Amino acid sequence: MKNLKKILVLVLALVMMISVVTACGGDKKDEKEEKETKEEVKKEEKTEKETEKETEKETEKETEKKTEKETEKETEVEVEETEAEAPAGEMTGQINVYTRDAASGTREGFESVVGFKDQLTDNANEVSSNGDMATKVGEDAQGIGYVSLTTDFEANNLQPADYEGVEPSVETVIDGSYLLSRPFCYTTRAEGDYESDELEQLVKAFIVFLTESTEGKEAVLSAGGIVDVEDSTPWDELKADHPIVDQDNSGLTITTGGSTSVEKSLNAALEAFQPLAGNFDKVVNQTGSGDGWKRTLGDDKDGPNASDIGFASRNFKDEEPTEDAMSADKYCDDAIVVVIEKNNPVTNFTQENLFDIFTGAVTNWEDIAK
Amino acid sequence: MNRIRIIKDRIAEGLTWLSSGISALVLIAIFVFIFKRGWSTLNWDLLKNNYNSENLMAGYDHIDWDEHGAFAAPDTLPENAFFSEKYGVAFVDSVSAAKESQMEVVFLDPESPLQDGKITTAGPRQGDKLGLEEGLYLKKISYINLEGDKKSAGLTATQGKTSEELVSVLDNDSQEVVDFYAQTEGGGLKGSIITTLLLIGLTLIIALPIGVFAAIYLHELAPKNKLTAWIRSSIELLSGVPSVIFGLMGMTMLFQVTRLMGITGQSTMLGALTLAVILLPVIIRQTEEALINVPDGYRMASLSMGATQFQTIYKIIIPNAMPGILSATLLSISRIIGESAALIFTMGTAIMDNPAWNTRGTSLAVHIWTVMSGEQPNFELASAISIVILIIVLILNVSVKYLTYRMTRDKDDQKKKNTKVKVKATTET
Repeated sequence: MKNLKKILVLVLALVMMISVVTACGGDKKDEKEEKETKEEVKKEEKTEKETEKETEKETEKETEKKTEKETEKETEVEVEETEAEAPAGEMTGQINVYTRDAASGTREGFESVVGFKDQLTDNANEVSSNGDMATKVGEDAQGIGYVSLTTDFEANNLQPADYEGVEPSVETVIDGSYLLSRPFCYTTRAEGDYESDELEQLVKAFIVFLTESTEGKEAVLSAGGIVDVEDSTPWDELKADHPIVDQDNSGLTITTGGSTSVEKSLNAALEAFQPLAGNFDKVVNQTGSGDGWKRTLGDDKDGPNASDIGFASRNFKDEEPTEDAMSADKYCDDAIVVVIEKNNPVTNFTQENLFDIFTGAVTNWEDIAK
Repeated sequence: MNRIRIIKDRIAEGLTWLSSGISALVLIAIFVFIFKRGWSTLNWDLLKNNYNSENLMAGYDHIDWDEHGAFAAPDTLPENAFFSEKYGVAFVDSVSAAKESQMEVVFLDPESPLQDGKITTAGPRQGDKLGLEEGLYLKKISYINLEGDKKSAGLTATQGKTSEELVSVLDNDSQEVVDFYAQTEGGGLKGSIITTLLLIGLTLIIALPIGVFAAIYLHELAPKNKLTAWIRSSIELLSGVPSVIFGLMGMTMLFQVTRLMGITGQSTMLGALTLAVILLPVIIRQTEEALINVPDGYRMASLSMGATQFQTIYKIIIPNAMPGILSATLLSISRIIGESAALIFTMGTAIMDNPAWNTRGTSLAVHIWTVMSGEQPNFELASAISIVILIIVLILNVSVKYLTYRMTRDKDDQKKKNTKVKVKATTET
C-alpha cells in the first residue's frame, strides 16, 4: 500500500511537470491537443494503478466511469463543432442576450438610447466588465451584447454591428449620425476646496488642456476617446493663462476617481500633460461611475478616497448636482457598439430590433424583423 | 471478513483515489491555464520596470539645422526598423504588455542633430541635455513642415501613427524638428511587488501578536465559562463576514486611526489594519489549535518545577506551539496575497511605483483587478501576474516550512541528547 501511494504521488508530480512544460512551450500545440495528451497521461496513470490493484471489479467500475466521462466530453465537443459550423447565410436558433452589471455606465447608456429601462429580459446573462462581455460574446455564436468602441474586436473574435444602418466609427459619432453613444464627463471639486491653491490652478490648467488644447484632444483620441481635434487650440497659445505650468510641480499630485471606462483616455491625457506642466504626479484611482461625483462633491469628498477630478461614463444625474464644481462638462464621447460573434451574418440592428431582443420579445435569430 | 465488507472497503478506497485525482486534475488545469497564457508575457523587464513611465519632452530651439547632412542606416538595424535618413534615427513598432502600441527608438546616430535636445519641462532638470535616445518610446514629434507651419506626428498625433509613416513624414515633409515627447518603458510590476511584500509585513506585525496573545488568553488563562465560549464563537463568526464589509469598515472607522498617524488618504497602513482584522479569526483559531496540541504534561511539569504561569507560557508553551503558529502565518500570507475586495476600498486602485507605508499602492491581486477592469481585458498580463503571485507564495511557503523544520529538528536533537545523557546516567548508576 505504501509503495502504491508513493507511485501515485510520483505519477501526479510527473503529470504536473509535463503539463507545465507543455504549457510553457505551448505555441506549437493547440489546447485540444494538450487536453488529449493530458488525458492519455491520465489513462496511463490509471492503468498503472489498476494493474497494481489487480481487482477486476474495480477496473470494470473505473472503465465504466471513464467511458461515461469520455462520451460526455465527446458530445460536448460535437455540440461545439455543430455550433461553429452553422450555415453562413441564415442565422437560426436561440439568441443569448448578454448585459453588463447594474452599476455599469455602458449599460445605462445603452438602455437609455434603446429605451428599455427596467424591461430587460430575465434570460439575460450578466457580465461584470466590458472585457468580460467581449470575451463571453466572442465565445458564443448565438450571443449578442454591447461594448465600447475602444474594444479590440478582432482579438475577442467579435464583429461590430451597424446601428440603424450606420457603421460605428470616430467620424460617424462626431458628425452625429451614429446614435448609440455615451458621453465621458468630468467634474472637479468646488472652487477653493483643494489641498492647496497651486493644486487648484494645476487642475484648472489640466481641464483646459483636456477640453480645449490640440495636444490634449489628440492624446484622448489616440486612446480611443472620440473628440473633434479640428476644433481645438494649440497648447502654446492656451498656456499663457496658466503660469502654474511653468514651475516645478513635482510636489503636486492630481488625484482622479470615478469611471473605469475613462481610464485609458484619461491616462493618455495626464501623461501628455505631465511634461508640459512641471512633472506633477498623478493618481488614477478609478472604481466606477458612481464614485466620480461622490468623491469630488458628494459624501466621500473628505474621506480617504477623495479626488480632485471625478469622472462618469454617462451624464451626471439630477441627484449629482455639479453647480458647485469649478468646472464640469463632457470631454469626449464613447460609442457603444452592439457586438456579435465573428461569423454571425446579422450585421445591422435597428432600435426596434434591439428593443425586442433585450426585452425578450424576440428570442430566436430567425425572428428578428428585417 | 466477508465479501460485502471487502467490496465496501474497496469502494471507499476508490472514492479517496477519485477525489484526490480530481483535486490534482483541477490543480493541473489551473497551472496549465495560467502558464499557457502568462508565460510568454513574463520577463525580467516586466518585474523590474516601473508601472508609470517617465514622460519626457525636449526641444531643439537652439540648433542650427542647416549644418546637418544625410545619414546612412547602420548594418545592425533590425529588419522591422524604419530609418530616417534626414535625422539618423530609426524606430520599431511594437505592442506593450498592456497591449498598447509603442514606437521604440532603436538607433540614433551619434552625429544626429536629435542628440542635442534640451528638456523643456519646468523643474530641476529643465535645460538638461536629452536626445531622442535609444530605448525611449516616442509618443509625438513636432516639426516645421516645408511650408513653414508647425505640425506634429506620432502615436498621440493624427498622423505618423506607425514607424513607416512617421519616417516618411519626417524625411519628406519636415525642415526641422521643434520638440519631441517620449516615454521610458512602463507597465512593470515593481511597485506592486514591493507593495505586496510591504503589506504582508505590516499586516503580520499587527495581526500576529494580537492573534497569538488572544489565543493564549482564550486557551490558557480565560476561565472556562459562558463568556469565554461566547467570545470564542463570535471570533469564529467574524471569519464568515465577507471582506467587502471589512473594507467598508476600514474606510470609515480605521481611517480615523490612520488619520491620527498623519495620513490623509488611502494607504498601505490602512490596508494592513483592515487585513489584520480580517486575519484575526484565522490566526486565533490556528494558534489555539497549536496550543491544544502542547501536551498538558509540559504545563504540569513546568508549574511543578516552580515556574510561574507566564514563565510556563513564554518558555514552554509558545516554543512548543511554534510550528502551529508558523502555519497560521502561512495561511495568513496566502490570505493577504489573495485579498482584493477590501483593499480596493482601503488602498485604492492607483498603481504606484514607489510605495511606502503611508501612501496608496496596489497589491498584485488588485493590480490584476485594475488590469481586468478596464475596457480591454488583458488575460495575458493577469496570468503573468498570477505566476508572480504563485512564485512569491511558493518562496514564502518553502521558507516557513524550512523554519518549522529547523525548529522541530533542533528540538529532536535536544531530545536525543537528553535521552543519551539519561542513558549514560542510568548506565553509570
